[in-house]
Formats: sequence, C-alpha cells, structure tokens
Amino acid sequence: MLPCTGRIDESLLLKAFENGADGVMVIGCLEGDCHYVNGNIRARSRVKRVYSILEQIRIGPDRIRMYNLSAGEGAKFAAFTNEFVSQIENLGPSPINVARKQAARESAQEVQAT
Amino acid sequence: MTENPKTKLVPRTTGAVMIVGGGISGMQSALDLANSGFRVYLVESSPAIGGKMAQLDKTFPTNDCSMCIVSPKLVEVGRHRNIELLTHSEVVGLEGEAGNFKARILQRARYVDIDKCTGCGLCEIVCPVTQISHFPEQPEAGQEKKKLRAKDKALITGSAPPRPTSLSAWTFRVDEEKCSKCGSCHRACLHGAVSWQKKEIAAIDQDKCTGCGACFVACPEKFQAITVDNAPDLDLSLGAAIHARSREIKKELKGEGNGVCIRCGLCAMMCTKVMGIGALAMVSEGIQAGRDICQVCGACASVCPVNFLDVPALTDKKNRPLFDEFNEGLNVRKPINIFYPQAVPRVPVIDEQSCVQLNTGACGTCKTVCGVGAIDYTHVEKEKEIAIGSVIFSPGIEVFNPRQRGEFGYGLYKNVVTSIEFERLLSASGPTSGTVARPGDDKHPKKIAWIQCVGSRDHTCNRDYCSSVCCMYASKEAYIAREHDSSIEPTIFYIDMRSFGKNFDTYITRAKENKVRYVRAMVSRVFEDPVTGDLELRYIDENGDKQSEVFEMVVLSVGIQVSEGSKRLAETLAIDVDGFGFAVTDGFSPLTASRPGIFVSGAFNGPKDIPETVSEASGAAQAASVCLADARGTLLTEEVLPQERIAEPGEPLRIGVFVCHCGSNIASVVDVAAVTEYAKTLPNVVYATHPLYTCSQDSVENIKGLINEHNLNRVVVSACSPSTHEPLFMSTLRQAGINKYYFDMANIRDQCSWVHPLEPQKATEKAKRLMRMAVANVSQAEPLSELEFDVESSLLVIGGGVAGMTAAVEAAKQGFGVYLVEQQTELGGQVNNLQRSWDGQDFRPFLSSLKEQVLSNEKIRVLTNSAVVDQSGFVGSFESEVMTPSGGTRKIEHGATLIATGAREYRPDLYGLNEFDNVVTQTDFETMIVEDPVRASSWSNIVMLQCAGSRCSEHLDYCSRICCNQAVKNSLRLKELNADARIDVLYRDMRCYGLSELDYRRARMQGVNFISFDPEKSAPDISTDGKTVEVLAYDPSIRMKVSLKPDLLVLSTGIVPRDNEELATMLRVPRNKNGFFIEAHAKLRPVDLASEGIFMAGTAHGPKNVTETIAQAHAAVARVATILANKKLKLSGVFSTVHPENCAVCLTCVRACPYGIPVINEEHTAYINPALCQGCGICVAECPAKTITLGRFEDRNINAKLQSYTGVAHATEEGGV
Repeated sequence: MLPCTGRIDESLLLKAFENGADGVMVIGCLEGDCHYVNGNIRARSRVKRVYSILEQIRIGPDRIRMYNLSAGEGAKFAAFTNEFVSQIENLGPSPINVARKQAARESAQEVQAT
Repeated sequence: MTENPKTKLVPRTTGAVMIVGGGISGMQSALDLANSGFRVYLVESSPAIGGKMAQLDKTFPTNDCSMCIVSPKLVEVGRHRNIELLTHSEVVGLEGEAGNFKARILQRARYVDIDKCTGCGLCEIVCPVTQISHFPEQPEAGQEKKKLRAKDKALITGSAPPRPTSLSAWTFRVDEEKCSKCGSCHRACLHGAVSWQKKEIAAIDQDKCTGCGACFVACPEKFQAITVDNAPDLDLSLGAAIHARSREIKKELKGEGNGVCIRCGLCAMMCTKVMGIGALAMVSEGIQAGRDICQVCGACASVCPVNFLDVPALTDKKNRPLFDEFNEGLNVRKPINIFYPQAVPRVPVIDEQSCVQLNTGACGTCKTVCGVGAIDYTHVEKEKEIAIGSVIFSPGIEVFNPRQRGEFGYGLYKNVVTSIEFERLLSASGPTSGTVARPGDDKHPKKIAWIQCVGSRDHTCNRDYCSSVCCMYASKEAYIAREHDSSIEPTIFYIDMRSFGKNFDTYITRAKENKVRYVRAMVSRVFEDPVTGDLELRYIDENGDKQSEVFEMVVLSVGIQVSEGSKRLAETLAIDVDGFGFAVTDGFSPLTASRPGIFVSGAFNGPKDIPETVSEASGAAQAASVCLADARGTLLTEEVLPQERIAEPGEPLRIGVFVCHCGSNIASVVDVAAVTEYAKTLPNVVYATHPLYTCSQDSVENIKGLINEHNLNRVVVSACSPSTHEPLFMSTLRQAGINKYYFDMANIRDQCSWVHPLEPQKATEKAKRLMRMAVANVSQAEPLSELEFDVESSLLVIGGGVAGMTAAVEAAKQGFGVYLVEQQTELGGQVNNLQRSWDGQDFRPFLSSLKEQVLSNEKIRVLTNSAVVDQSGFVGSFESEVMTPSGGTRKIEHGATLIATGAREYRPDLYGLNEFDNVVTQTDFETMIVEDPVRASSWSNIVMLQCAGSRCSEHLDYCSRICCNQAVKNSLRLKELNADARIDVLYRDMRCYGLSELDYRRARMQGVNFISFDPEKSAPDISTDGKTVEVLAYDPSIRMKVSLKPDLLVLSTGIVPRDNEELATMLRVPRNKNGFFIEAHAKLRPVDLASEGIFMAGTAHGPKNVTETIAQAHAAVARVATILANKKLKLSGVFSTVHPENCAVCLTCVRACPYGIPVINEEHTAYINPALCQGCGICVAECPAKTITLGRFEDRNINAKLQSYTGVAHATEEGGV
C-alpha cells in the first residue's frame, strides 16, 4: 500500500521482478480522480517506461500493467485481478525465476556430484 | 504577574453542544465543534450515523462515490475523543435556556453492548430468523409452557424423493439413564437405525444412521434422552451447530442438488429444538409441516442447505419478511442486524419485534457465538440527562411516499421504484451488488424513465415547494446507470431542469452527451403490461400532442420532506416550523431557530443538496458555539500520554505480531495458529499471539501490557483493513510509550479470508506472506515525529461585503482577532446596490447595523482602500503584506485567511443595455421600483428576459442561480404597486428552487405570464431602438407567437466574480474558468480551499443569495475556528524531506509537485515545508538524485516488502534500530 501510485518509480517496479514476481499490477485512482491531482498519470508514464525496459531485458512488457479503479469497485478489482492472473499464467514463470530455478538445480546437482 | 487559577472566571455557559441527527449535517457540525474546543453529544435515532448520504451510490456533479467520501468522516466522528455518540436514541425533553440547557435522552435498548462489541458480524450470520413471526401465546408467569400440537398438517414433497445424506453427519446416542423406553425415537427413524422393544432402552445402530436427527427431535422434551456427539460448534449451542453443519453441507455440495431434499434434518431440529415450536417432522415422503402452529420465523428455510423449503408453503399464516430499511426494503435482513456494512458504530441492534429470544425465550443462538459476550437480552431503555450550552437540530429528511400519487402505480407495479431505491440498486454494496435489475423479475432493463417532481411542486398533496435536488440526482442516476450498462437508454421527464448549482449545467450537458434523453413533459399516467411487467407512460409533448411510450422500468424522482418524527422532535424542542415542517428562520440569521440557543441546519432548514448542507452544518456549529465562547475547552477530555521511549542506538529489534481471528471471519478460513507459529520463526519476532478480536477493548489494553512486558519495539497486526483500524492500533502503540510509526498492518481479512473462503490452505499461505511482508516493513520502520507549532489566533478577511463582514463579526465574537481588508472606500460590497432580500426584508437597516458592528468591535481592524499583495507561511502562521491607501505596506500575522471577494452584476451590451433607458437589469429595476414607486406603478407592460447573457457560450456559460427568484420577486413587487400591470417573463427553465417555488406559484396566480423558450429553436426576437422595445416570442402554452411592446425590458443578466486573478495567483489557490474559487472538495469541503488554512465564503465561491452567503460566512468561521481555537497545531509525521547533500537543484521536484510546495531556499537546495506537504510521494519518485524521502514509504520500506514477498532470503542490509 502506498499513499499514491505517484510514489512508485521504475526501480521499485523492476525490483519486484528481481525479487521473484511473475507479474506486477499497479492500481491507482481513476484518471481525473487522483486524490493527489495527477499522481496516477505520472505512474502511468512510469509504467510505460518500464514496458520498454522489460522488453529489452526479455522479460516482456505483458508482465506489468496499470489499472485504474475507484474504492467502490471491488467486483471490478476482482475481475481485473483474475484477468491479469490468467494472463500471467499463460506467460508462465518469469525468465528470472526460470533461471533462478535452473541455477538452483544445477548447484544441487553439483552438490550431489561432489 | 502570574494568573491564579482560582480567580479564573467560572464560565457562565456550558461548553457542550447537543446535535440531534447524525447525517452528514450532524457529523460535520460535530467535527467542527469538537475540533474547536467543545464537547459534543450526537444523538441519532437510527442504530448508526451516516444518514441519507450513506445510502447514496454516487454524488453529483463529480460522480464521487458517496460511501468512499463519507466513510472517513464516519470513522473520524466515531473515534473522536470529544464526540459522544448516542445512537438508537431520542431526545425526549429540553429544559433550561440558551447557554445552559438540560436535555433528556431516551436510549432505546440495543441488546448489544457497544463497548464490548467489535462489529465482527458473526451474530448476524448465524441468526436463523428472516421474518417477523406470529409468536405463540406465552404462558403466564409460573405456568408451564404448553406443547403445541398441530391440527392442520401438510406434506411438503419435492420434485424428487428425498435423498438421505450423511454429509457432515452428527452422531446420536441414547442416554440410558434418561431413556423412558417410550419408543418415539424408534418410530421416528426412517432408516431403521434405532432398535427398540417395549420396556427396553432404545439403541442406535451407527452404521445405519445418516445423522438426520429425527430420533433426537422425536425424543420427548421432558426426557431429553438422545444426545448429540461429534457436532462442531455444539459446545456453543445447538443453533450454532446447525448453522455450522448447514454451511459445511453447502460447501460440500458446491451448489449442486438445489431444491431436492437431502433429509439432513436441520429444519426439524431447528424448529423443535432451537425455536421450541415443533411444527416440522420428517416423514418418508418428505417433510410434514404443522401449518397452524408454525410461527413463520423462517429459521427452517434459512438453514436448509439445498433451498428445499419455501416458507409460504409451510404455513397458513401471513409471511412477514423482515425488510432491510437501509436498502429501502429491497432485500431482507435478520432481527440482529448491523445497520450497513460501514456503519459507525458497527454494532448491531436486536429488533424487538422479530427476535425469537426476546419474544419467546427460545433460540438465543447469537449470544452463544459472540466471543466477547456483547449480547445481553436483558437490556432495557434508559434515560440519560446531559448538560449542554446549545442545540443543533439537523434531523434531515425522508423521501415522499409516492403511493399518494396513485397514477404512477408505485406499490402496485413492481418495476416502478423510487429514486432512493434505484440509488441502492446502483450501489456496489446494495441488494443487487450494483447491477441494475428490475425488482419484479431481475431482468436487466434497457429503457428506463425518470419522472420528476413526484411529491414536489405539487399543491394537491401539500408539497408546493421544490425539493431542489431531484433534477440533479435523476441526471446522475441516469448517467451512472449507463456507466453500469451502456445499453441502458435513460429518459428524464421534467417540468423545469433545475440545475442551478455550481457546475450543475456542465453536468447536464455531459449527461446529454452521454445519451441521457430529456423530455419536457409531465407524465399523466403509468400502465403496466401484466405479462411483461413493462410500463406504458402517457404524456403530452411540447407540441401539445398525446404521446405514449413503453419503458421497462420507471424511477420516480420523489421529493424530500420532513418526517413526522422530526416534526414531533421539533415540538419537543419547542421550535417553530412552517406548514411543511421546515424550520422557520430569518433571512438574515438563517441558522437560528425560533427558540434561543437552538440552531438548525441541513435539509430540515429547507430542501438542499449535500454541499449546502455541509456548509450550513459548519455554519450552525459556529452559531451554536459563538455564544459559548467563554466555556470553550472547559469540558474536553485530554489524552494523557506517557513519555515516548527513545530507542537506544543499536537496540535490537523486538517485534510483536498479533494475528486476529476476527471471531471466525478470519479464523474460519485462515489457520491463524499456523500463521502465528510461522511469525515466531521470522527474524526478530520475539512474541506472537492470536487474539479472538485484536481490536476489542480488553485486547487493546492487553497489547499495551504485552508491549511493556516483552519490551517490544515494533508491532505488526494481521487483521482487517488499515483504513478503519490502523489509527486505533497506532494510538495504542503511542499509549504504550513507543513511536506510533513503529507499526504495520497486514490485511488478512478483506484481502484474504473474505476472498478465498473455499481455499483455506492457500489462504493460510497468503496470510503468512502478507504478515511476513508487514514484518519486513516494520523492521525498516523509522520513528517519525509529528511537528507541533504555535498558532497565531487571528484571521485575515479579504473583502468587506456581507460575507466578509459577517465572518469578521462572528470570528471576533469567537475571541479571535480580525483584519478586514476591503479594496473600496465603503464596506458593504454588492449589497450596497440591492434593496430587498428574497424574503422581502429591507437591506439598508441590516447593512448599516452590520457595518456598525464591524466598526465598533475593537477586535476587528478594518483596512479600507487596501489590498493584500503578498502572503507567505502556512496554516496557523501566515504573514501577509497589505498595501494601504498611503501606498505603504503593512505586515500582518494571522493563522487563517478568508477570501470573501464577492461578485457583481453582469452588464453585457445586449439589447441596448447600458445604452437605452428602457432596457435595464433586474437590480436596476428593483432600485427603480423602490426609489420611485409612483413611476413604477405607471408601467403597464413589462417584459423580463431570463438568462440574458447566462448559460451561453458567448457570455457566461453558467447559471447564476438567483436571477429566476429575482425576476419572480420583482414581478410580485410590481404587482403590489399595480395589479393590472402585464408582466411577461421569458425563460428557459424557472429555477425557483426550494421554498422560492411558493413565490413562483404566487406570481403565476397573480397573472404574471411565464413563457418558456428554447434558445436554439424558439429564441424570442427582441428589437430595441431607445424609444420602443418590441418582442416577438413563441408561447408554447397557446402554441402561437405573441408580440409584446413593453414599457421596459428587464434583463436577468447573472453575476460575475470580482477581479480576483492576482489574488488567486498570489495565494496559489485555484479558480474555475469562470473565475470562481474552487473548493477543496465539491461535496464535503465547500468552504475550504485546497491550501490548508485558506477558506472562502459568499459569491467568490459561486452565485448565491444573501441568506446563503450569510450561512456560508458562518461556515467559514467554524472552519477557521478549528484552526485558531488551538494553541498549537500538530502535523502528520508523513511528509517528504529533501536531503540537501545530494540535491542538484535540478528543479524536478519543484515542477513535479502538484501543490507547488518545493522551493529553492537560501542555501541553494530544494526545500519542502513539512507543514504544507500533502505526503503523496510524487517528488520522491521523480527526484533523479533520489535525495527526497517520504517517512513510512521510503525505498527501503518498499524494498523490504518486495524482498520478503517471495520469501527468498535476501540478507537485509540493516538490522537493529
């Protein structure tokens, strides 16, 4: 939880992937309804910037998405979450996690070998 | 010289105020009073505060979610130390006089202890009753209860034979000592599982038993020889066990087999053993119901896991479902009921009429499941006496009952609903979870019609007034309905579109663009097609043709009215009301009731919308407290806090974790014990426990003890939503002597157990993760300090019109110093040019008395011919420069600023205005009538043109709100002088809102001609040449053109704000495109500006009449008092800080901040004033040097959470404090 999505920056979003997230949802107020005037608009542009970084490092831009919701839209939130989760499930685990697992397996094999 | 406290004067008045009515009005008054040094008793007749606003889905004209904006206020009122809530209570007497009243309050029995209840809602979940029962006659005291015997027995069979189940079956056993060998159990068993021989003890064959409990039900009450084993929750009560089993079976069936009896036996056990009726028995074909003895409580049906039972079939008595009042009766509720999910206090009330326990002594299930022992059936009503100085009466309104207008078929046709019912249908927390569905058949309607003025502007049912809000709420409902389902085609049938408020016309335009259709017509009748449930509307269109159109649903825009209950209360308080029940007040003291010491606000004081209500509520708070100024602060409860313990450098982390059961809200899904055990394995967690209710009073006390006992220096609570409970736990930490920011909360209820009820294992893992992240975050927490600074107790008022002067006088009475700065030589502003108020009073004596009060008050410094040219500082401590007539500047220190720069009449060069003598404005016309009545009475023909230069893109694109009333008022005045004068008023919509509709009606009765026109289709043709005026207009009522040659053409030109651009730039406060200042929140902060400590009142905010201006001036002073009444102000500890060592002075933060707070200081680095920072963190994210931090939300906090998310152990960089 953050005071405003405007607090989010690119490095924090990338940190989430580094720490094992397969996908990241950023959820802010409805556009035009930001409690802090324009924080969600700034967040949107930061999320967009992260798209291209994710593309470059081959994680893929589909693993991050920004949603806009009001506090009264619980059902919509659930629908968005389900939609995003199935999108990530289709994509499978993030390459970072795949690589990490691979490395863990290899090191385990090494341990066994020795 | 030091002041001797003993010689201090004893206040003459009582520093407490009673507010009657806990809607948005009462809540706002309560907060303003409590925050400016007065004790408040808030008396509300319903079980919770919130009023009508809590029932609304969205609010116009911003489409803000009503509950989202009102619930923070609910929480604030509920938690305020100096507001005592007296809900479910009624005022029954008021003695004494202004300054020192004694009120008697009747507190009705709630049967639930407010102090013990945590609002978990379990009682409501297990309560099996759904109807108002026909309770059997109760035995006289001392007599034994007679067993009911059914004479009229019916067999309930389904579409398929019963399918006996042993899902979650209970096991039964015969108590050999108690068995009387009667064989009832043997005969009852349908599965041959009970063996019995005459004179022998029965025995149950567990292999054959399906656990239906028929034997248990059949065993006579006096023996009770059959006992139940192995039934979860039986230790609580049989009712609780039945509920638990029903839920288990439902879970296992996963919705399959609906409607086929599974002979689980729960209904019969419920009826006989819990309700003590015994109307149901299981027989081989189905269920046998004793129709004549059934009490129709609905318990059997509510525990049936397969929806087999249908209550009407079980009985010959009338079904009386218990309707949910909050949802306008659109769904049913239980006798024990929390008023609405966000209710404050979130404590249920037991309904005396329907609760089985209170009526027959049976059941009592709710009490057995309450983990904190809050339910007490022995409650009785109590009377309480309170001492108060003033009373604010704000009981609000109810909606008109449309059954009185039978032609629309409400109550007969199911798909005709009221607007407030429709509001509940739209609401996400309403009976349909926000889907627009017809109550008749749940069909999604496409064509929906709104019929306006049902119970408004209607002489036939004594509702002559306009309800002021219906045009807007209907437009909003139509708009939002389309947002829910874009295939909906809404049509609004109206008489006049009264969108007279700030930004309302823009909203209507948006609605039209969004395919909301507006038809100017009065619907004469509604007919239902009994087959389809569709509704045919008949009306006459603008061309006079008969029309008929079919809609799938009809919404009646019902007017608002004073309830009978409020009228009775007004009588108790001995205040005068008018023929409709609205308060009688004076146009120059709009908030003062007829009895001294009592003040009124909100819709009881005349129909009005939310922002006006909020404004009046603040105003009433001001008016109610100004006479108690000497008693300010005398009755407050101050919180005494222990010294905050400062952590030693290098002190190890000692984290305490509390995992809440929330009754069974969390614990029924999440394995809280496992989460707690897991917590203990996390680094630095030295203590973890799982209380039943972490937020209950004893539990909070316990946490304080545990903090000290285990020397905890960080606390994590895994429970419910931080938005409701974080403040409570944070203050608990502070009370235990540790910094309140050493805290974090994991929401494992709303975000976990409530969302994953069917996946307990995964939910437990998720709860662990959420808790782990909170522990990681709290490990990185820094102590934050809340800055305190002195408040300069004086007010700067800019503008010396009625708003400014009223505010100055009131603020001075409150005890604050006032600087009143006026640009002109003379005080008085626009009212200097006006003659009479809307209620006919002369402005002159009022104005001169007001000026006299300003000039003679030694606390008010008046600076005329002066202007504020600079302002610096922040709330509580501003410094302004005022340019004086000498050309020099003067420095003023003040704690708050009030903008009351006002407005003036618009004078466009239209139709020869400003050029010809026979073309005048309404203000000119009024002056002419008053100054030369002889001449005025000689005029025989007057034409008034409304919206001359208003509501159009070339001139003013907004509605000026007052012109219609002004035209009506001037017409009536001329009619007084010359009853034969012909007056034609050309108008677009007559916006005589509220009680001014009465004048409009009077004018029509006296023969004033009102001719409507559409500027696009039928704009009147007007030519003026200085000598004559010729008007050619189409009159739709006679469907002919009329030619008029008036003596005078009177233009209603509207009003424009005074030049305030420089002031706005200097104060950094926003204005809208028309030059009116923009309030901090369109609904709930109508007189606040976005910058803390700056307020506004009067026409600088938007067009309004003098009465409304005076109310707003009072409101602004109330808001000012919440600042100036404090010696010191405390700020939130969460603000952005620039660390200058890395600041490159790149100005990124200066540009990024939406509030313009960062500045480059003398040390040549960026600086953010903590008193001004709003704490959003935008600058933190933008700063390229990463040298700005935001307390609680620093990178290391967020990183810690991210790192702990997967549980992949990353060594944290820092440990210890």
